Parts: sequence; C-alpha cells; structure tokens
Amino acid sequence: MVRPRGTDGALLSSLPWTLMALVFSLAPHVPFIPIWITAAFLGCAGWRYVIEKQRRALPGTWVRALLALGCFLGVLATYGGISGVGPGSALLAIMAALKLLETRKRRDQFVLLFLSIFLVMSSLLREQYLWSLPYMLLSILVVMTAWLRMSAGKSQTARQSFATGGRLLMYAAPLAIVMWIFFPRISTPFWAVPIDTSRASSGISDTMSPGDISQLSMSDEVAFRVSFDGAIPEPRDRYWRGLVLTRFNGRTWSAREPGISRFARDQIEIIGERVDYNITLEPTRQQWLFALDMPYTWSLSKTFMGPQQQLARSIPIDQRISYNATSYTDYRVQTDLSRQYRIWYSDLPEGSNPRTAELAREMRAAAGSDRAFVNAVLDKLNQEEYYYTLEPPPLGSNPVDRFLFETRRGFCEHYASAFSVMMRSAGIPTRIVLGYHGGELNPMGGHLTVRQSDAHAWTEIWIADLGWHRVDPTAAVAPERIEMSASDAAFDGIRAAWGFTAPSRLLHQMALTWDALNTKWNEWILGYGPETQNSFMQWLGMNEPSWRKMLLTLVCLVIGIIMLISVILMVRYRPPAKDAAAIHYQRFVKKTGLDPQTGETPCVFALRAQEAGIIPSEAVAAITEAYMVARYGPGGDTSLERLKHAVSAIG
Amino acid sequence: MDHGMQRPTTLESLPTGRSAQHAVVDQARQALGTIILGKDEQISLALACLLARGHLLIEDLPGLGKTMLAQALARVLGLSFRRIQFTSDLLPADIIGVSIFRPESGEFEFQPGPVFSQLILADEVNRATPKTQSALLEAMEEQQVSVDGSTRQLPTPFFVVATQNPGDQIGTFPLPESQLDRFLMRVEIGYPDEQSERELIAGEDRRLMLKDLAAVTAPEMLTALQSAVREIPITDALVSYVQALVRHTRESADIEIGLSPRGAQALVAAARAYAFVENHSGVYPDDVQAVFSSVAGHRLKPAGSTRFRSPAELCQHVLDSVAIP
Repeated sequence: MVRPRGTDGALLSSLPWTLMALVFSLAPHVPFIPIWITAAFLGCAGWRYVIEKQRRALPGTWVRALLALGCFLGVLATYGGISGVGPGSALLAIMAALKLLETRKRRDQFVLLFLSIFLVMSSLLREQYLWSLPYMLLSILVVMTAWLRMSAGKSQTARQSFATGGRLLMYAAPLAIVMWIFFPRISTPFWAVPIDTSRASSGISDTMSPGDISQLSMSDEVAFRVSFDGAIPEPRDRYWRGLVLTRFNGRTWSAREPGISRFARDQIEIIGERVDYNITLEPTRQQWLFALDMPYTWSLSKTFMGPQQQLARSIPIDQRISYNATSYTDYRVQTDLSRQYRIWYSDLPEGSNPRTAELAREMRAAAGSDRAFVNAVLDKLNQEEYYYTLEPPPLGSNPVDRFLFETRRGFCEHYASAFSVMMRSAGIPTRIVLGYHGGELNPMGGHLTVRQSDAHAWTEIWIADLGWHRVDPTAAVAPERIEMSASDAAFDGIRAAWGFTAPSRLLHQMALTWDALNTKWNEWILGYGPETQNSFMQWLGMNEPSWRKMLLTLVCLVIGIIMLISVILMVRYRPPAKDAAAIHYQRFVKKTGLDPQTGETPCVFALRAQEAGIIPSEAVAAITEAYMVARYGPGGDTSLERLKHAVSAIG
Repeated sequence: MDHGMQRPTTLESLPTGRSAQHAVVDQARQALGTIILGKDEQISLALACLLARGHLLIEDLPGLGKTMLAQALARVLGLSFRRIQFTSDLLPADIIGVSIFRPESGEFEFQPGPVFSQLILADEVNRATPKTQSALLEAMEEQQVSVDGSTRQLPTPFFVVATQNPGDQIGTFPLPESQLDRFLMRVEIGYPDEQSERELIAGEDRRLMLKDLAAVTAPEMLTALQSAVREIPITDALVSYVQALVRHTRESADIEIGLSPRGAQALVAAARAYAFVENHSGVYPDDVQAVFSSVAGHRLKPAGSTRFRSPAELCQHVLDSVAIP
C-alpha cells in the first residue's frame, strides 16, 4: 500500500495565524535585511499555505537541504560573515521560512512561534523607539493568538483567542514591569550587544572641506535633546560646542585626535550665571560630546576636556547616552597665549588662497588694530553681496579665493573657513568650532530639540586680554540663521511655498507632541541605567542599593504578584455564565422568599414554594415548567418567552 | 392466549409520536403496578433500565417480589422469558447450551441453553461459581456466545435481570466490582407499605394474575422506544450537573473509588430513559437524581471510615452536596 504523501489539512485552520505571527515579527527587520530574504520568506509562506490548502506533499529532504544551503550561502555572500545583528536576523528569518516547509505537526508550529518571539526580541537590537513598544506588544499578542488557535476548539472564535491572549498579557504585565524596574542594571554588562555596522554614521565629521559638498542635507534626525534646570538661554547664546578644528591645508580643516588636556579647564575664567542642563545624545559612533558653550562641569564617566575646551569620551558613543552638564555663557578662555601657540594657531599653508591673504593684509593695514580689522571683515561680509544658501556651487582648488571673490554663496562652513583664513593671514590666532546652533523649544516637553539640520560651524579668534573670543561670520551674512534655528527657517519656507498655514501648523504641533513623548521615553525608559536605577532605589527607600538587594526584592515581588494574581483569579472565578432562563428563574426564586437547598431540583423547590404560598401555586407550576423546558428541554424561544411572562406576571 | 389484537408486530403500525410512545410506556407501567403493589418508583426504574438497553440487578431479601417483577416485565413487554436458578453446581454449559452428538445424522447439534431468550431472570446470581457467573456476564456484554469455536448471536432485545440476596453470606460468591459494572442499575425493592401489603394478603394470587397479564408492546416496539430515548436532548446545564456529581464522587472523603467515565455515561443514559418514562421534554436534574442511587450505588466504593450505612444513603448525601447549575 502506498502511503498518501499529502498533508491531511489538519493545520489549515491554525496555519494562517502562525503565518501572520511570523509576518508581524519579521516586519521590523524588513528594512534592514536584504530584499531577497523577505521575498524568500513570503514565497515559502505562500507555498506552505497552498500545500496545506490543496493537500499536496511537503517538499522532499533534498529540496529542503539544497534550499537551506543556498540561503546560508546567500547570507554569507551578502554580509561576508554570519556574526552580528544583520546576518543573525537574516539567518533567523531564513530559518523561519525554511522551517515552514517542514512543518507537519503542531510541534513544528511551536518551533515556528518560538522563532517569531525571538525575531520580535531581536528587533530591539536594532531600534528602541517609542513606537517599538506598542508594536512589540501587538506582535506578541498575535503570536499568542496563533498559539491559542492551535489548541482552540471548533466553537472558539479567533476573537475569543485574541481576548484570551490579551488577558494573559495583562496578567504578565505587572511581572514585566517589576522585573524591568528591579532587575539589577550593571554598568559594565556581561554581554555586549553587537553594533549594526551596516548603517552609515550620522552627525558631524571631524574634518571640514567647504566647497566639496555642494548640497547640505536638511536631515530632520534628532542630534540631541536638552532639558534645562533653570531658564533656557537666549537663542543667540545657544551654541553647542562640539569639536575644534585647528589645522588647515588650504582645502580642508581638520581636528586632532581627541586628547586629554590638564590645563584646558583651568584656562576657563567664568563670569556670568551658571546654566545647568541635561543632554540626551543620540548615538553618533564618534567620541565628541556636545555641550553649551562654555562647558565647565559634566557628569559622565570616561569623559574629558581636550586642549581646545572640547569634550570627548574615550569610547565611541554607540548608544543613546544622557549626561548632566554645567556651562557659563559668559566666560573668558586662555587670556594668556604663548608666542609659539600664537604662531601655531595662525598657520596657513604656503601659497594657498593668495588673493584672500593679500586682501587680509591690506585690510589689516588699513584698520590699524586687530579689533577694527575683525569688524571690517564682518562688515565686508555683511554689506557686500554674500548670500547664505544651502546649495552652494562647488569651489575647486583655492576654495577660499573662489568663494570670496567669485561665487559668494555658501553656508556656515564657507563663511567660517573664509573668515578664519583672513584672520590667520593677518596673524590673528583662529580656530573653527563645529557643533550645533539653536534648537527648537518644545513647549510641551519644555525641552530643546537639536537636529542634524542645526549643525553649525563658527570661529574663535584670540585677542590679547580677551582670550578666545567667539565670532560667528555666518551671523554677519544671515543674522536670521542665528536668531532662528535652521529648521525654523526651513519651516517658514515650506509654509510660504504651500501657501497655507493651518495644516502645516497642525502637523508641526503633532510633531512637537511626538517629540515631547519621545523625550520622556528616552529619559525614563531607555535612559533607565545603573545610575538612574540606583537613585530610584534610594528614592524608594532602599539604603545602599546593591544587586543582591535588588534581586531579593525582585524575587519577593514576583512571588507576591503571582500570589496576588492567583488570589484575584480565584476570588473572581464564577461558574460559567448562566443563561437567560436561569436569570429569569433566579428572579422567581427571590420572590418566593425561600432559599433553594443544595441539590434541590426546581421541581422539588416548586413543591416547597407552593406550600409556602407566597406565590400562587399555578404560577409556581407554570414558571417551573417553562424553566425546565427552557433550560433542560429542547429549549427554544417560546419556552423562554413563557418563562419571562410568567415571572413578570407575579411581580 | 391470544394477544393478537394488542400486539402490533409490524414496524408500520408502531406509534411514532412522542405522546403515543409515552402512552405505551404508561400502559406498561400501569400493568406492572397491578402485579407489584406500591412500588411505582422501582417499576419506573426497571422500565427505564430496559429502555436504556441496560441490564438490571435486583438486590433484596427473598419473598419481596424480585422474581415477580422480572416475570411481569417479560410479560408486559412481550419478550420471551427464561429463568435460570443459579446454584453452586451450575455450569456454564447449563446456561449457554451444549453440542450433542446425533448418531442418526453423525453430527454434533447445538442445543441452545436458556440464555437464548429475550429476557433472562438470573435468580440468585451470587450462588454460582465465578466461572459460571462470568459466562453469563460475557453474554451480557457481547450479546453473543461462543460455543465450540463458533459465535452465536443472542436474540434482540436481550435483557438480563439478575437477583441477589444481600444478607446471605454462606456459600455465595459476591460479584466483583468489575462485573457489577455490567449492570446499568441495581434496584432494591424493600417491604411494601401497609396498604399495599393488605391488598397483597387479601387480594388475588399474583401468580395467577401474572398469567392473565397482557403484553402492551412487542420487541420491535421496544427497539423503537429505545431509539426514541436516545433522541432526548441533553443540555449543557445538565452535562455540567452530571460532571459536578461525578467530580464530587471522586473528591469526596467518604468515597474511595468514584464514578468512572463509563459510570457517568451510564448515569446519563439511565437519566435519559427515566426522562422518557416520566415524559419530560428533556433530561431534568430530577431524572438524574431519580436514577443516581440505582446507577451509582453499586459502582461507588465507600471509604472504610464512612458514616453512611448503605450505598443509598451515601448517594443521597452526594445529591444533597452538589448544587444544580
């Protein structure tokens, strides 16, 4: 006898749910994994469904083995390795797709659902946005529904399974929250999440070549968010100091490697009020930290100040970090600069940008003093025809010459570079600071959001007695660029272009709300690290929180919560809902004034009720008869109607 | 005797409506009531047992009408009847039959035993040896017997009414639990009440009356009634009640061994038939309660420490402890 090779269609009812669970858990990976893996998964899913639907046979061992080998080699070829988040999740997706082709029994479906839960978890290795949480909960809910569908009886609808899954999640929620709060966070984790290196790094690069980039992208991505303890500084003071460029080769300004300087902080002479704030910095994969000009204290381990008062960390910022800092917007830095350094800071390569050098020397001679010279140059930029644009023409060799005398169009980097070259040509020590300027105040969160489009470059010149003094040549050309932030300017442009305000204003409002929510999310949920946990434990009243104490608390709380949930479930347990007939009958029982005894049938109870005589005997008989037919007999609406009428009639 | 007028023999003439069917059952009940006085409940139970295709065990002292009930049942239901008096020297062949060598034909010929009847009264079944008992019990279970390597079908319907004397301990082989399970019900008859006893003493000889008893139905009719019983609906509420009862027998401290799933099935089957006898529109909790003691009494094993003196008391206690949904 030939054994039938086709499937028996037993999985037909639960398979679509399993497939849906897989789709839900795979979706967050789709933008990151190669398109052919998504296609392979969808192909396998469709194939498997058709097999089940048409009772075909599953593909043979050799076909499956070849497919598995092919996909593995495909991943290897795409990524050049199998370790890391990218290839790891690609392999998981492929495994899920191929497992579908050998899913015969319920046990295989279990494996698939475990895989989908793993896929949901691994999506956290890529992104931990605010919307990830609701999406993950939804995915888990779908997985649990699929799970329940496997063992659901015929009478159970998908909606009921969904509700059961939701209820189970609700029971688990307090446990999850307690574990999240109390599970000890360790500052140096035992494990390290591999960084997805396939993504390009964003943010500020540590070199600057004005003229090479002919279009500055207006990326809306958040660079960092700042919340202030006190008043928020004026827009013109919102210079977020990043790295400092000191060397120029005629084309490119470059920074030195981040290095520690023992004197840098001592060179700062603070004058005005202190500004305390907290910065949540998005990962940059670089070492530079940003702080309000001029930073004075900061609370972040492995962080130091470089010789040009720039903050840097000894390890790249791979994860979102949060730190407190104190700055002084009114300050003086390094009023005393040695001759050697003065020469070093005004060094220019021989023969580059000759026209600029010539112009600078002429203007310096005409001005008479350094200060007058600086003002003359700024006046020149302001009053002659220079334009601020985000799409400047390319500049070629001797870019500063070409910019100052020919194209006259550029953005902050062009002006900062041109200004610095003129200063250095006149022998004034100059350096360029890269960072951000401005930031958008979110009235809902009360914080400042600084985006990549707020990136800025400005200069610092050294003047005797005054020290390093900030000069922003862009402000001379486009003062509104400094008064407003770049994104505000862009927003005005959009508004003008579209010719209406209301929808865009509403959109802007929504964007602000979303940003405020995101800030709280980053601050409270993602920023819940060892320090926050420690202070939270102390706030809860735990003295000297240690991981032992936290673990003990955790275990006690988990046991307590499980007991609490069990008690609630036991107390809340009701026998299966009574049907309509029983509800009407109970009304009758109440009116008789008697208590039915355990094990007393309605017929026996009727005899007692007739004896008691509160309700007429005929009514008791009629109600009991109708109830018995409705509840224990063939039922039907007529008996229920009769019961309803009879019960209403007596009272 | 000519019962031609009252005995419908073809399927066409069978009453099909529920009320007509119940009328037949009611006639049977009344006819039995003229022979066995004041024992309406036992009569209803016995009828229900046969309607549920179950075998009946009547357990009581001698002289209370056990045999009379069995004979009357056979008469009223129009079934062929044989009585087997079980004794300690009874052999399986005495029940099943033997193959006898016929010299004239040179072949063995099977001489059917008393078991080849529609209703058998196995009187004092606990007097026979276990071997003989099990021969009967096999027949009850399979509705067939194997003799000399060939299987012979027993007639349909096939009922066994067995009687047992409880007090008699000398020279008896009590049926083990597993074999008691073959009987759907165990019924106790008990002494008649005063009025009934008066009538019995003063009235006509019941043996003679039995001879004149007319059949109200025929085997075909009985089969139709049995099918009708199976169509009585069972509601979720009733299943919950039965389940609660069964669970209680398993969890109660007074009971060592509770009802098995087969016991629960038997309970529902018996309750269905009883509902049919009582002409209920469905199976009511009252029907379950009515048959509970008869169905569960011999299937439960009371705990050694139980405070209940009889299985009936124990069963009543179970009924009083389980709420009706």
